[in-house]
Amino acid sequence: MTPRPPLRAPVPGVAHRFTAKLLSWSGTFIQALSRGKIESAVGVTIGAVWVLSAPLFLICSLADFLDGGSDYLALFITGAAVEVAGLLVVRISRFPSSLPISRLFTAVVCGAAAALVAVTAAHLATGVTNQLDVALVEAAATITGTNASTINPEMLSLGMLLFRAFGQWLSAAAIIIVLVRVLPHLGVGGLDADGGVATRSARRLAPRSGSTMARLVTLYVALTGLLAIAFLLAGMPFVDSVVHSLTTISSGGFSTRLGSIGSFNSGPIEWVAIFGMFVAGISLPLIFRAMRRGDLHRFVRSVEFRVYLGLIAIVTLAVLAWSDGLPTATTIRYATFFAVSSISTTGHLAGDLASVSFGGEALLLVLMVVGGMSASVAGGFKVMRFMVLGQYIGRELRRSVHPTAVEKIHLGRSSIGETALARIIGELFLATMLLVPTVLVFSADGLDIEGAFTFAVSVMSNVGVAFGDFGPQGHLQAVGPIGHLSAALLMVIGRISVTPVLVALGAVGEPAQSALRRWRMTKREVVVR
Amino acid sequence: MRRVAVTPVRVAGAALIAIASAMAISAAVALADGGGGFGGLFWSAIITAFVGAGLFFGSGVSPSSDSALAFASVAWSWLAVSVAGAMPFLLTGVIPWARFDDALFESVSGFTCTGSTILSDFGSIPQGVLFFRSMIQWFGGMGLIVLAVAVLPALGIGGLELIASEAPGPTVDRLSLRVRDTARRLWLLYGGVTLLIAVALSAVGMSIYDAVSHAFTTVATGGYSPYGDSISHFDSFAVEVVLILGMLYCGANFSTHWHAVTGGIGAYRRVSEIRWYLWLIFSAFGLLIWVNAGELGWLQNIRESLFYAVSLGTSTGFGTSDYIAWMPAAQVILLVLMVVGGMSGSTAGGMKVLRLQVVFRYAFRELVRARHPRAVVPIRLGQTTIEEQVAAKVVGFVLLYLGLIVAGGVVLTGLGVDPVTGFSGAISALGNAGPALGDAGPTNNFLVFPRAGRTVLMALMVFGRLEVFPAMLMLVAATRGVAQARRRRRLGHAALKE
Repeated sequence: MTPRPPLRAPVPGVAHRFTAKLLSWSGTFIQALSRGKIESAVGVTIGAVWVLSAPLFLICSLADFLDGGSDYLALFITGAAVEVAGLLVVRISRFPSSLPISRLFTAVVCGAAAALVAVTAAHLATGVTNQLDVALVEAAATITGTNASTINPEMLSLGMLLFRAFGQWLSAAAIIIVLVRVLPHLGVGGLDADGGVATRSARRLAPRSGSTMARLVTLYVALTGLLAIAFLLAGMPFVDSVVHSLTTISSGGFSTRLGSIGSFNSGPIEWVAIFGMFVAGISLPLIFRAMRRGDLHRFVRSVEFRVYLGLIAIVTLAVLAWSDGLPTATTIRYATFFAVSSISTTGHLAGDLASVSFGGEALLLVLMVVGGMSASVAGGFKVMRFMVLGQYIGRELRRSVHPTAVEKIHLGRSSIGETALARIIGELFLATMLLVPTVLVFSADGLDIEGAFTFAVSVMSNVGVAFGDFGPQGHLQAVGPIGHLSAALLMVIGRISVTPVLVALGAVGEPAQSALRRWRMTKREVVVR
Repeated sequence: MRRVAVTPVRVAGAALIAIASAMAISAAVALADGGGGFGGLFWSAIITAFVGAGLFFGSGVSPSSDSALAFASVAWSWLAVSVAGAMPFLLTGVIPWARFDDALFESVSGFTCTGSTILSDFGSIPQGVLFFRSMIQWFGGMGLIVLAVAVLPALGIGGLELIASEAPGPTVDRLSLRVRDTARRLWLLYGGVTLLIAVALSAVGMSIYDAVSHAFTTVATGGYSPYGDSISHFDSFAVEVVLILGMLYCGANFSTHWHAVTGGIGAYRRVSEIRWYLWLIFSAFGLLIWVNAGELGWLQNIRESLFYAVSLGTSTGFGTSDYIAWMPAAQVILLVLMVVGGMSGSTAGGMKVLRLQVVFRYAFRELVRARHPRAVVPIRLGQTTIEEQVAAKVVGFVLLYLGLIVAGGVVLTGLGVDPVTGFSGAISALGNAGPALGDAGPTNNFLVFPRAGRTVLMALMVFGRLEVFPAMLMLVAATRGVAQARRRRRLGHAALKE
């Protein structure tokens, strides 16, 4: 590869400077606090998540108070409790001097778990639900950006609505941070922004990961703002615009209404939502580069983007072709909406999803599995990983004719290492292995076969909308507590990939493992003697 | 006579001759039974033998031989045989000429040991044709080319590659130094087991005709039965026990069986795949009992759960009851069994247990590597270590297999089949199981799929039986052959000009 030209100076602008300041300030704050006795990355992460997420509770509490809602006190108290708990945890722990990879995995997973606990507490405290399993799955849907819920959003207070929407938005922002800061060290194939299978669209933007992060987060904030304005201009009320812009750009999918975007019955609003979801599925670094130089050709040059766009186009056409009647402006809009909502794993609804033909349904499910581009906030397995898998299959086919051939896999102009390849494949297999028992649990817990399968896939890709006898959103309601728990687990696993979760779990069982190994060794020694 | 040096043609000719013998035997059965169908079967045998002999003696073996050629030979001969196998159905009038694709479906479903049928009124079909139907499964089970290598003196292409590209599983065991001996031993064992099952079945009360037909399809893990209601026709526990044992035996690796027969039972202990195979089937059995506990009576539950766990775990597809009425969870378990299938080197279909093992180890290794990025972890199956190249091939196969399931399911649903029937149909066809879920359960036939959908299923069956790669490479080899011929002609032109 030719050496890259030096990057230009950071983008000037108030927003960017503000975000950078905010990010660095929170980092310094946590570092200043964490001077405790126990050397534990897990402690610092949990504490940091709680300390930094508590302001959200307070803001939502304030909004609820101004609106005259009933949840402000509960939110305030939960927020205060989370803040105090976070401060305590951070205070007693210290960032370790060396950090083995398994600990880093554990820290990431525990960070997610901490967020889960905080959001569950908020759901229970505000009385949105009084069942632990429901609260847990709602919290999981919030922090993973899945549009699966048993709660009617129209019954929620403004505070809770904002809380859930901001929860989805913030956790997607956290994903960006993890993407830039942590994943390069973990090397979860194909997800990280600059390690593993880096392609040109997803390589670091600046020499320091801190400024890369600030740029991406600024972009994310700016996109959210633009989308909110667009929603407003399209005729959506103010609060709805805010909530929908937050949940659309984060590919979350929560809505203020039971019928999601479709209940506004407005073409312009739906087109804005389509555009927002489409953007949510694009690699953020790619958008950043294209925007900075005003060079839209960058999109065209990105292979992954072309495939992403092509998939949307093909499925939209197929959904239209396999439906009854000739396409009209409305059916075209709905078909596009379905396709974009599926591939960006947002899960917004408009039009009648149940009216899609069987073939269209299958294709939408495939899109859900594929998910957005790598280094985007969307869930799913990611377009790039599937492109790599396709190339891998092709290579193996060629190899069975020419067994001694040595071939590298290329994606655009960059080649992909064998290690990254193995990681991607391993990840796919692990995900499939997790999916099968979950389908079994769902089908044993009250869903029909189609519903169980599509719901499991949809939940793992963080979409939330599924097919079958229960309508697009009735699945979570139809399953019992075990189904709720497995759905929550699958959402979290789908969001942060299978490998980190399993490695973290393995690290928990490490003492037991080493004890077993020692026992085995002694046994073998006895045999040798 | 000038011989064309095209290996695939010669191999296809050999396979056709084998099938002609099956037709002749079935004609004899039809004659003895007196239920009609003799003429059709007889003429099919004549035509097939004639064409087969023409192809076999009219062609020679290409001077060069590589794996692509072996793949192509297998694939083309299967194509030829499938077409020939459709002939008796058409000539006897069991399936009208206008529905020739259905005859092809029945033939392909037979040779690939799938067992999906489009026949409905079994009472009116001549016994000879039904016998032929069972017999093509028997031939398809161990593989026609393995048979041809074993029996025909002058096939002329040696090498394990040819057998390996037909035999199920990523590797083939060399039972003897000579390929022909390996093939002979496999077929000897295969025939012996068939005889044993036939004797056992007649001992528990089946007529000889039924016993032989069912033995054919059991040992091939095919699943055709001369009765519309399959095994429930007999309603006999003893018959089911014999069939369960037979299916379990034939879903396991035949090379291991050979080692066990010659070298004692200890051979099984050395193979880790067999533990996985049994563990998989019996844990599915346990789960089925648990899920069905509230639905069926105790004895019936154990009987049906065991039968279906074995029948679908070995991709046979015999039926004793309608599992479509079971709980959704039970059907999901059956679907998983259909995907995995039996052991490698057996007559069973599916992805194969060995590949599942490799995939498990592969995924597990990635977990270990995620924690210890510099670790070197070999993929071990029991005592043996799998080479990276083989592991990569297995992984590629599994990915392609999953991809084909999705593609097949999407196409079928696109043709208007409901998702459960469509996807389970694709899984069942690719895994050569037979029955599917939804509308295509064990008591229904495959006419529920639209005509175009049945063609898709046929392709999937062949892909599944030939383990995907040969079928795909058949096309590659064909295009390569054309390209070579073109190049040669161009060279010839250039030489002329000079």
